[in-house]
Amino acid sequence: MRRSYLGEFEEVVLLTVAVLAEGAYGVAITDELERQTGRSVSISAVHAALHRLEEKGMLKSHLGEATAERGGRRKRLFTVTVLGSRTLHDIRAVRKQLWDSIAPNGLPAVSL
Amino acid sequence: MKTVLPPRWAARLLEWFCAPHLLEEVQGDLYERFLRNARLFGIPYARRQYGREVLSFLKPRAGGPFFFKRQSENFPTTYLMNTSMIRNYLKIAWRNIAHNKSFSTINILGLSLGMACSLLIGLWIQDELSVDAYHANGPQLYNVMERQFYDGKVEAGSGTPGLLADELKKEFPEIAYAAGYSWEDQHTFAVGDKLNKEKGRFVGADWFRMYSLPLLAGTAETALSGPTHIAISRKMAQNYFGSPQEALGKSIRLDNKDDYQVSAVFEDIPRNSSDQYDYLLAWQDFLKRNKWLKDWGTNAPETRIMLRTDRNGVPADPARLEAKMKSFLKSRNPGMVQKGLDIQLFLQPFQEAYLYSNFKHGYQDGGRIEYVRLFGIVAVFILLIACINFMNLATARSVKRAREVGVRKVVGAGRSLLIGQFIGEALVLASMALIGAVLVVWLLLPLFNELTDKHITFQFTRLSFWLTLLGMTLVTGLIAGSYPALFLSSLNPIRVLKGSIRFGSGARLFRQGLVVFQFVLSMLLIIGTIVVYRQIDFIQTKNLGFDREGLIYLSAEGDLAEKYATFKQEVLRMPGIQTMTFMDGTPTASFGSTGNVQWPGKDPSTSIQFQFSQVDYDFTKTLKVKVSGRDFSKEFSTDSVSYLINETAARRIGYQQPIGKPLTMWGKAGTIIGVVEDFHQSSMHIAIEPFIAKLSPNAARKNIIVRTQPGQTRQALASLETVWKQLNPKFPFSYTFGDDAFQKLYHSETVVGTLANYFAFLAIFISCLGLFGLAAFTAEQRTKEIGVRKVLGASVPSIVGLLSQDFLKLVLLAIVVSSPIAWYTMSRWLQTYVYKIGMEWWVFALAGLLAIGIALLTISFQSIKAALMNPVKSLRSE
Repeated sequence: MRRSYLGEFEEVVLLTVAVLAEGAYGVAITDELERQTGRSVSISAVHAALHRLEEKGMLKSHLGEATAERGGRRKRLFTVTVLGSRTLHDIRAVRKQLWDSIAPNGLPAVSL
Repeated sequence: MKTVLPPRWAARLLEWFCAPHLLEEVQGDLYERFLRNARLFGIPYARRQYGREVLSFLKPRAGGPFFFKRQSENFPTTYLMNTSMIRNYLKIAWRNIAHNKSFSTINILGLSLGMACSLLIGLWIQDELSVDAYHANGPQLYNVMERQFYDGKVEAGSGTPGLLADELKKEFPEIAYAAGYSWEDQHTFAVGDKLNKEKGRFVGADWFRMYSLPLLAGTAETALSGPTHIAISRKMAQNYFGSPQEALGKSIRLDNKDDYQVSAVFEDIPRNSSDQYDYLLAWQDFLKRNKWLKDWGTNAPETRIMLRTDRNGVPADPARLEAKMKSFLKSRNPGMVQKGLDIQLFLQPFQEAYLYSNFKHGYQDGGRIEYVRLFGIVAVFILLIACINFMNLATARSVKRAREVGVRKVVGAGRSLLIGQFIGEALVLASMALIGAVLVVWLLLPLFNELTDKHITFQFTRLSFWLTLLGMTLVTGLIAGSYPALFLSSLNPIRVLKGSIRFGSGARLFRQGLVVFQFVLSMLLIIGTIVVYRQIDFIQTKNLGFDREGLIYLSAEGDLAEKYATFKQEVLRMPGIQTMTFMDGTPTASFGSTGNVQWPGKDPSTSIQFQFSQVDYDFTKTLKVKVSGRDFSKEFSTDSVSYLINETAARRIGYQQPIGKPLTMWGKAGTIIGVVEDFHQSSMHIAIEPFIAKLSPNAARKNIIVRTQPGQTRQALASLETVWKQLNPKFPFSYTFGDDAFQKLYHSETVVGTLANYFAFLAIFISCLGLFGLAAFTAEQRTKEIGVRKVLGASVPSIVGLLSQDFLKLVLLAIVVSSPIAWYTMSRWLQTYVYKIGMEWWVFALAGLLAIGIALLTISFQSIKAALMNPVKSLRSE
């Protein structure tokens, strides 16, 4: 495969990191995901996805400052790498291309 | 706000499974959510939720294994068995070894020698214990022995009546098999023109069913069932017939007279068997040849039995059988009670017979097992001395290591870590020493085998061998490393790093105690060696009562018995020969004893055993024993019923003037014509017994004793061989030197003496290595003090004295402590001899002086070096 494969959940997590920009760390990403998608997300799944993405080179991370509310522990803050950004764009392009290829009445109507 | 905490179990669980490099953020995130949940939904919900979330990290779908994966290099924690720490320990250990070359050499050399010594002894002990241990029926095999009560004494012996084995088997259902076992015989065998002398025995027909002896041809049932059957060893079969299979059923001629059929061929007897023989002849034949054995009053061959096992394989109870057998002989030989004699049978386990062979006053009293124990103790002692060296040097040098310990403690090393480190260091040294030890043993093994007459090999393929080595290294490392480890790890880091460390008198006392202990052990070994050597020397130089130099023994076999008169006549004409006689047994191996001796006035209720020998003319002249009265002479025709007795016999009989008095032996009344001075008929372990010599006209089965002209042994042997070849061509010429036969009596003492000598030397050497190291250390410690003393005008001798004094005190103390122990042990050893040296005070003095001398020599090198040092150099450094 030419491009790295991204699972649906990974894609969403990667997008959420991009949404959160500066403040993307475990808890914030989980909250944002729950808010945006409306479904319940487990923190362990988010952590696993984040580290898998980092291993794939789509995210990079550094440790932030220690805060009292975390019992003096530091946050790991994630940012999207160029590779991550390229992958997201590629996915989006593929999707757009597919949408554009659908005939006007190709999909059954969805009533609002 | 009160701090709320997540559930402890969950927090612990997370810490335990989560990879260290991920732990912080995961903990942080979970804690943040926990606080929020607590605020919004209450603490109980938050705690439950925290637990659930921790568990969700374990789920494989959430990437559980991902969180287990350790990332190695980021933030390693200091586990005890962490590889990098171990690497560090090894590195430090190696640097310490490499940096202090002299100390390390002393340590490794000492440990190596100690281990080599223990290893050799261990191999020897293993070999001793393996003797006779290989028989499948081993635990059921017993020797039947006699305990004789007579003349106010109790004696145990292995000789039994010749019919005992078969009768016991008939009488007692507990006995499955029984077989007689004769004394060692030597016969000349011939097949075609192949002619050779072989050593072997007569045994009962059950022999091969009792003992595990693989048969290469023939069966155990038929092996010795007929009177002309012979079973031979593989070696013999190959010599005479080419192969075991070819030998079966073939005929072999014995002593140029009787023909036997080979009925079985057995595998050569292993080295670790105490019964050695190359051929076995049938018991029927034995009884036919020696009719006197059928008399229940005799006690000559051994009797072996094997207990029956019941259906579950449990053997019969030997103690109960023993009780039933006890008075068996009385039923067969009722006459013995009137003679004031009682003989009881008892059992000795066959497998114990080799190591527990000594009997004192009729009961078991040690044997080779004492040597096994003695050397076992010596092995432990020597290893201990080497370990003490290590401990001593390590504690002495602890000042140097104290800094390291301080730093390690400050950066967080716990006590257990430090103990582990120092013991590990000792283990590294011990393994290095082990390699040296194995090398030394490998080199010395041939020499050691020669010395101890063994065939010990390294059993590289055996797991137990490697386990032993491993065990030895571990034990040595642990013992040697224990004290330094405990001592150094207890140091207070603040005081150590401030440099104000002063070692208390405890450590010094301990060190001095160790030195004293070492020297006590060394002294014990020195004194032991001197005593053993003196006793051996005493045996060698003691006047035996006859002259053992220049005697040659021949056995009167084949035609020689009949042609003895001609043989004597011819030989005496040849060069190199002085005189010749013959006798039963030899001068150093008595032949047998008899109670059938009567004289007027003998108390009928006592039974005195007399050693006897039937001899030829010139008996006293050949042996060179002093005789009062006269020897047998051809001028007196009555000499066929005359007797020569020894002084002990004269005393027991009770004649004031024995010469010319009547004496009756074996029913033949005669007179005593001479009294020979007491001479030793066997080893110094046994008292000289009453002895009677009687003239015999027949040389058959006797030993011919030849005295050579001094310094002409070679001519004498050549003369003997020439005449032998003429008169007795069917038998190969063979002879024994009287001196060799004598030396053989003390073989084990000589071996023990030599070994003790080497071990004593080693023990002293290792102790001195330690002392040398300690002296070097003290001298180094007191460099400044010596400098100041020299500046203030101290002379070199006074400084040498000062430095030596401390050590000498310790050695003196060791001498005081060891002397009584040595006195006690060596007195006990000497008690095994009837003829022995006294324990002289000068032995202790000599050993003490030796120890002091050696210690002084060892220390003086260091102390003189220190005393001669230029004080400017030693004082300048501050």
